[in-house]
Amino acid sequence: MMNFRSLFAAAWMGIQHDLAWTTPAASLLLNVVAPFASVMTTSIIYWFGASHGTTGFDPTHLAYILVGATLYAHIAAYAWVPTVAIAEGKNLAVFPHIYLTSRSTAVYLAGRALSSFVISTITSMLALAAAYFVLGVFFHTGIPLIVTPLSLALLAVALLVNIPGALGLGYLLGSYSLYASKFEWSLPGYVAGLLMVFSGALFPPTTLPWPISSAAAALPYTLFISAARDAIIYGHLADYAYSLLFCAVGGLIMLAVCLRIYLAAEKRARRDGVLDRRLA
Amino acid sequence: METRPWFRTMRARALVRLWSIFGEPLWVVVNMGFPVLSSLAFSLLYLSIGAGSYVGFAVLGGVMVSFWGNVLWSMASQFNWDKQEGLFEIYLTSPAPISAILIGMSAGGILATVPSAVIVTVIGWALFHPVVSASWGAVALTFGLTLASLYALGMTLSSLYLVYGREAESMNNVLQEPVSMLSGVYFPSIGQFSPFPFALQVAASLIPLTIGMDALRKSLFFAEGVGAVWLDLVLLAVMAVVFLGISEFSLRALERKGRRDGTIAVRIR
Repeated sequence: MMNFRSLFAAAWMGIQHDLAWTTPAASLLLNVVAPFASVMTTSIIYWFGASHGTTGFDPTHLAYILVGATLYAHIAAYAWVPTVAIAEGKNLAVFPHIYLTSRSTAVYLAGRALSSFVISTITSMLALAAAYFVLGVFFHTGIPLIVTPLSLALLAVALLVNIPGALGLGYLLGSYSLYASKFEWSLPGYVAGLLMVFSGALFPPTTLPWPISSAAAALPYTLFISAARDAIIYGHLADYAYSLLFCAVGGLIMLAVCLRIYLAAEKRARRDGVLDRRLA
Repeated sequence: METRPWFRTMRARALVRLWSIFGEPLWVVVNMGFPVLSSLAFSLLYLSIGAGSYVGFAVLGGVMVSFWGNVLWSMASQFNWDKQEGLFEIYLTSPAPISAILIGMSAGGILATVPSAVIVTVIGWALFHPVVSASWGAVALTFGLTLASLYALGMTLSSLYLVYGREAESMNNVLQEPVSMLSGVYFPSIGQFSPFPFALQVAASLIPLTIGMDALRKSLFFAEGVGAVWLDLVLLAVMAVVFLGISEFSLRALERKGRRDGTIAVRIR
């Protein structure tokens, strides 16, 4: 019960941190701009390449890119939050104080990540909707997305099932952040870039050389994006269930392993005296 | 004699930036992360859709994104961070000319970003062998003028960001992706291959990166010489001068306002 209260308190703090620097509406709107632009960039690259390449433009492939580009940015947006919560927290002396309380810092980081998940879900979906309409106008084409209560419910379930895997990644990066005091700011770029390449967001993992392609195909994030595509592009329920099941299993394993790594790193960081270290 | 303090200040500010990067080589690894991975991802995207002949666009985009990232995070935000650290008031009270500090920061920033840009190029060329048909003189001239105008834009933003407090970082996050999109870093955003309506292309052309990318693609991949891209070069030169003037003017105006309102030494708002 106490952990739930702490979780909600941390999540509320995250909402305040991310949205309260200006009015909530303006802040939400500004948070939509980056994912919208990112989705547009990727979709336009596809349009340009396919129109002038050998395959030709296919609206279904555009939908594939649109969904993938939206979702990798969504994962990246909240998976790195534990990193920034630690880095910024150490810089402003918030993190050592959280450590001193009776609750685990892992609960605090989970709360911060969950608040960011909520914000990112809203902004990603708004970005997807905006890009869907704008690209339709730019390319004079309909983009075949299945928008029904069932497909949206399936997408929502997929978004929730992906949380453990993304949180696991967050803990893993957080373990690094406990020790780092310089380079943690570059992690968002690395996380977003790695997800772009390895999560099947923009092209099938089979494009990558073996054995990287096999490893990429087994990542929970790849399976999540695949399940989301099955839900709102192809309507393949059996494939959706298969991908989601393996996403859930992989995500839970990742969360368990990465949480252990984080807790061990935290224990060691205290022993090494770096929990409140601001500069390397 | 009058120019000496100006050059000494510029060199000193540039050296600070160079030492900060080359004194800790891991910074190169930090800076190259997103440009390398995004250029890799977009190259693979081009390949996966049978458009391998355009892979060079993705590699060139990765190179220029390195510089654009440096302009945003190491130029635009810099005075705001300097203010938070208490350095900005020292700049203003010292005899160091502010324009020399800005130019020094830019020169240092460009040199410090070169290793990351080179790594993006080498990895891109080694993995994808993009087809290049270059007019090297035009490429060099375009590249130089693009950087000059881009860093002049960074100087303007750095002075404008002083008006903001902690919002500056959020503004950077908001600006980074849309400018990359509008500028056509990875695809042509102006001209006959652009997907954008004419009005949006005109708006995008106000960003130096848009003109620079367009001219770089023409000269690097389609062997168009100075004669073919001269208008782009003139525009880039004009933008560099205009942005430089705006930054100088706005810094002076903000300094006067800061003195009047007593906010120059206010570190965090």
